[in-house]
Amino acid sequence: MTMSRLGPQPTEVIDRSTTPRFRWNGKRFSGFEGDTIASALAAAGEHVFSRSMKYHRPRGILTADYWDPNLLVQVGDDPNVRAGHRLLEAGMNVQAQNVWPSLRHDIKAANGLVSRFLTAGFYYKTFMRPQKLWPAYERVLATFAPGGKVDPDTPHRYHDKRYTHPDVVVAGAGPAGIEAAVAAAAAGARVLLVEHEHAVGGHLRYSSQEPDRAALSELRAALDASGVEVLTDSTVTGRYEDNWLGIVQRSHPIAVERLIKARAKVLVVAPGLIERPYVFSGNDRPGVITSGAARRLINLWGVKPGERAVVFTANSDGDEAAADLDRVGVEVAAVIDGRDGRRISAAQGSSKALEAVLSGGTRTEADLLVVAAGWTAPTSLLNMSGDRPVYDPAVARFFPSDPPGNVLATGGLAGDGSLDELRAHGTTTGKLAAQRAAAVAHRYQARTARALPVTGDEPAWAADLRVPLRRNHHPELYRSDTHGMIDFSEDVGSKDLVAAAREGYDSVELAKRYTTATMGSAQGKLETVNTVAAIAEARGETIAQVGTTVWRPPYAPLTLGALAGRVFEPVRVSSIHPWHEANGVRTILAGQWIRPDHYGDPAAEVRNVRANVGLIDVTPLGKLDLRGPDIPNLLNLLYTNKWSKLPVGKVRYGMMCAEDGVVLDDGVTGRLGDDHYLMTTTSSGAGGVWEWVENWLQTERPHWRVHVTPVTTAYSSINVAGPKSRELVSRVAEGVDLSSEAFKYMEVRTATVAGVAGCFMWRIGFTGELSFELHVPAGHGMHVWEALMEAGADLGVGPFGLEGQRIMRLEKGHFIVGQDTDGLTLGPSTGLSPLIKLDKDDFAGMPELAWAADRKLPMIVAIQPDDPNVVPEEAAQIVRGDTNEILGRITSSRMSPTLGRSICLGQVEPELAAGGTKVTVLLVSGERISATVMDHHAHFDPDGERLRG
Amino acid sequence: MADSPTFESPVVRGYDTADSGDLLLTDASATIKWLIRASPDGSVADRLGASFGSSSAAASGATVLGSRPGEWIVLGTAAEVAGAVEGLEGLDSSDFVSCLDWTHGRALFRVTGNETTRMLEKVCSLDWSDPMTPDGAVASASVAKVTCDVARSDVDGTPSYLVFCDRSFGQYLFDALIDAGDEFGLVVGPARP
Repeated sequence: MTMSRLGPQPTEVIDRSTTPRFRWNGKRFSGFEGDTIASALAAAGEHVFSRSMKYHRPRGILTADYWDPNLLVQVGDDPNVRAGHRLLEAGMNVQAQNVWPSLRHDIKAANGLVSRFLTAGFYYKTFMRPQKLWPAYERVLATFAPGGKVDPDTPHRYHDKRYTHPDVVVAGAGPAGIEAAVAAAAAGARVLLVEHEHAVGGHLRYSSQEPDRAALSELRAALDASGVEVLTDSTVTGRYEDNWLGIVQRSHPIAVERLIKARAKVLVVAPGLIERPYVFSGNDRPGVITSGAARRLINLWGVKPGERAVVFTANSDGDEAAADLDRVGVEVAAVIDGRDGRRISAAQGSSKALEAVLSGGTRTEADLLVVAAGWTAPTSLLNMSGDRPVYDPAVARFFPSDPPGNVLATGGLAGDGSLDELRAHGTTTGKLAAQRAAAVAHRYQARTARALPVTGDEPAWAADLRVPLRRNHHPELYRSDTHGMIDFSEDVGSKDLVAAAREGYDSVELAKRYTTATMGSAQGKLETVNTVAAIAEARGETIAQVGTTVWRPPYAPLTLGALAGRVFEPVRVSSIHPWHEANGVRTILAGQWIRPDHYGDPAAEVRNVRANVGLIDVTPLGKLDLRGPDIPNLLNLLYTNKWSKLPVGKVRYGMMCAEDGVVLDDGVTGRLGDDHYLMTTTSSGAGGVWEWVENWLQTERPHWRVHVTPVTTAYSSINVAGPKSRELVSRVAEGVDLSSEAFKYMEVRTATVAGVAGCFMWRIGFTGELSFELHVPAGHGMHVWEALMEAGADLGVGPFGLEGQRIMRLEKGHFIVGQDTDGLTLGPSTGLSPLIKLDKDDFAGMPELAWAADRKLPMIVAIQPDDPNVVPEEAAQIVRGDTNEILGRITSSRMSPTLGRSICLGQVEPELAAGGTKVTVLLVSGERISATVMDHHAHFDPDGERLRG
Repeated sequence: MADSPTFESPVVRGYDTADSGDLLLTDASATIKWLIRASPDGSVADRLGASFGSSSAAASGATVLGSRPGEWIVLGTAAEVAGAVEGLEGLDSSDFVSCLDWTHGRALFRVTGNETTRMLEKVCSLDWSDPMTPDGAVASASVAKVTCDVARSDVDGTPSYLVFCDRSFGQYLFDALIDAGDEFGLVVGPARP
């Protein structure tokens, strides 16, 4: 096989004035703009591009397009690049994959010497026993794994995403597809035309026939004027429910790939036909190519595919290939016409000196064997639509059966005919698609509140009155009288399939999985029908009797990057976040919130709060605005305690349980007015509690008059904590008496703070200190924070973060829902049984909590290690003595800067819950330490004197 | 003491801005926004005039968006919104009505230009075609994975959309919209109500 560059061809797509340079296996090459990697290499005389997966046989061009299984190469960091499709770029570093030490001399080709032992099922049979050796087997087998190399340090590139809702998507821009798109657009439809190749035109692109070239020009002009959106180098990869389509756009100015999710009202499937290889001995030798490959090389890229050719043809494409070869000076040594019953039996010799052997034994020397043995109908998108295509033995391919009404087939997939007939079929298909899309659009509009109102009834579903395309007879040419390769990607031959059938894997689905035939890079486009034919032959049945595999998404392999698409990671910040960033904050990601964890020394922050005053930004604290006369009923239902008599200006703590009695959330709710309350939730529970409340109101108590609005970030929330907090707040607040007599613990006021009206001020806190929690309209949050900082400079005010707050709440013994409780913690386990009012009429979780009231349950308790310097890990187990019997666990644990010792909360079995009980804590290191259960949760200020101020 | 309070936008990063552009993104978070809840077919609904999914102009000049069944967003200047909201709570004693100033709770951005549809297609799965989302349409949708209210509000015949989200997502969403519009030449306009 001696390939070289031809002179200019009338249909070529290369620009001979631009010559990008690139490397192939370390050597310098150049090609033309518009070349694929493979065409540039072929023009430079290269004829071996890869080694086969299992036997490492040399492989050359087979189809010279996207599907070519022999043209997978590594380009820079990209493995498995399709050299038959990827356009050449200057500076590319192209390498053969999985060869050692070189493509020319690959030592793994020795596998071919033992090929008779490496038949289908080889792995399964050979490496099953002894089982303990599998890790060793695995290491060796990994070195034979096909594919290129991925550098873990390769930077993540930009993959984009897009959603679209066209009326009609046409998959395939051959003549019928273009006509369908243009006709649908002319009928008023919004049309998206998706073409797998780099340009529209289908097989017309590489036809040297003048009428075809004229038709292509005409089609392109019509398309340009049609308003159709055209995506080239793009593939409809899957069709899902209700015409939800995945489309990968491989060429995009700003992204490596773009994944398009399209909701098409009607899908037109027009992928054309894919020429399939013929199975005979030596059919995978370099120099054996399809007729389409020969015509593409000549007419698209001006590459002479050989010097002396034998052409095996069973159709007009093969005839045209022979004519093209002759036209460009390739000596056509023989044309073997498959329509006359003649067969090619073998290809022998080296890649540079092939010998074509006919069934009768006649031999012809050549360096090129061109085969035109028939087509595969790529029915994938029809299969994905629920259709079960039917095999027609007279035409030797599958045809659509009964696709759903919003999926229409046209072009070669639907039948044969002259170019004019195919175009006419495309036109009527496009019109039908537009009519049906109009009906679907009417339905969508009618049921969408925001859409323009529709008038009249939904248009009738247009009947399919298309004249079916005729079907041309084609001989069933699958395997000759010798065995050969069926799946070039997976190195599966016809012998393997016969052997699989003999072993009992004689259903096509089983044989596929057993041999891996059709599971390679071409995803069955070249192999499926030959696979089915081999099994049918082994079973002595017809292809129709055997049936075919079900083509599932994707139509063509996808990159993981395309699937991942653009990554959106929303984050939330408070209005005060810029101040934190400017003041040395160390942040922590809590859910979607970026929160201040500390500002360098959390222990110092704790000491400052205990001694002076500190500010913490608690904006993420969940806040629900409640309005309406039935709020007390709602609160009585949601919380375990009573709410009917909460006066205006008062705040009450509540614990929320789910219907199974498990603690769901907790927080305080204040009454701001007669029918106006503000409920707070945990930060992490804000969204869940809102849904919980709405669920009760919308589905269980729809007659209650309560409006709930999440206002979590409508307010910036600032907790001012410490013995000097009253003094600090008094310097910025107006309109409120802050004295301990006038504004008591667990009360709420409305005030103006730093000139900002409409702030809510609560006398509550989580630190155990005298605290004022300010909820400030968020558009003034930064202003109030800075005002507090400025006003408190002489008081020693400083910020504190989540870590400081967590230490102080632990010192105070406040549990955190989700940290100290879990999915099984019932209300009484928190130690808050007095807040569970079983004498109420009803509340969420009441039956379960009534049941639990008389039972001994695990309890949350305060624990202090006997060695005050040991801080057990959170989740360290509490065990019985020297055994591993688990009796509880540490749920929170810190070194207390206030007490100078370690302190914990934990959950323990009921027999350990009494104060003074000694427990054993098993540390992660394996060491066991002794600890003591305390009398009450608070390690510090158990009587609450400080917080009451 | 700090300066007297002015509205602080959730968008705090600095950007090069231009007064106009083929695709213009502006921060309008300072716009007064109220949330109205009432029966979807009562007197308040009649007065507000915007059914679910559509918008209307109040006599005061405020814009009323029917954001959900029985829920409206009223936006405009303080006087316009006050005019539209005034008296709603007492309009009909049988209609349970609540009015809430939502100005500080929601970030609001406006994106204007002929390429807005293609830009929004990158971050939101809604059908932005004219029949499905005409001028005045209102929808709830995920935009760059953030729950948003989106309203089409064309400017002099040019497609324009208002995008509302929870204030805390404001900076993230603003940046996400800039990123989505980059390939269409998006420019950031000066913040304005």
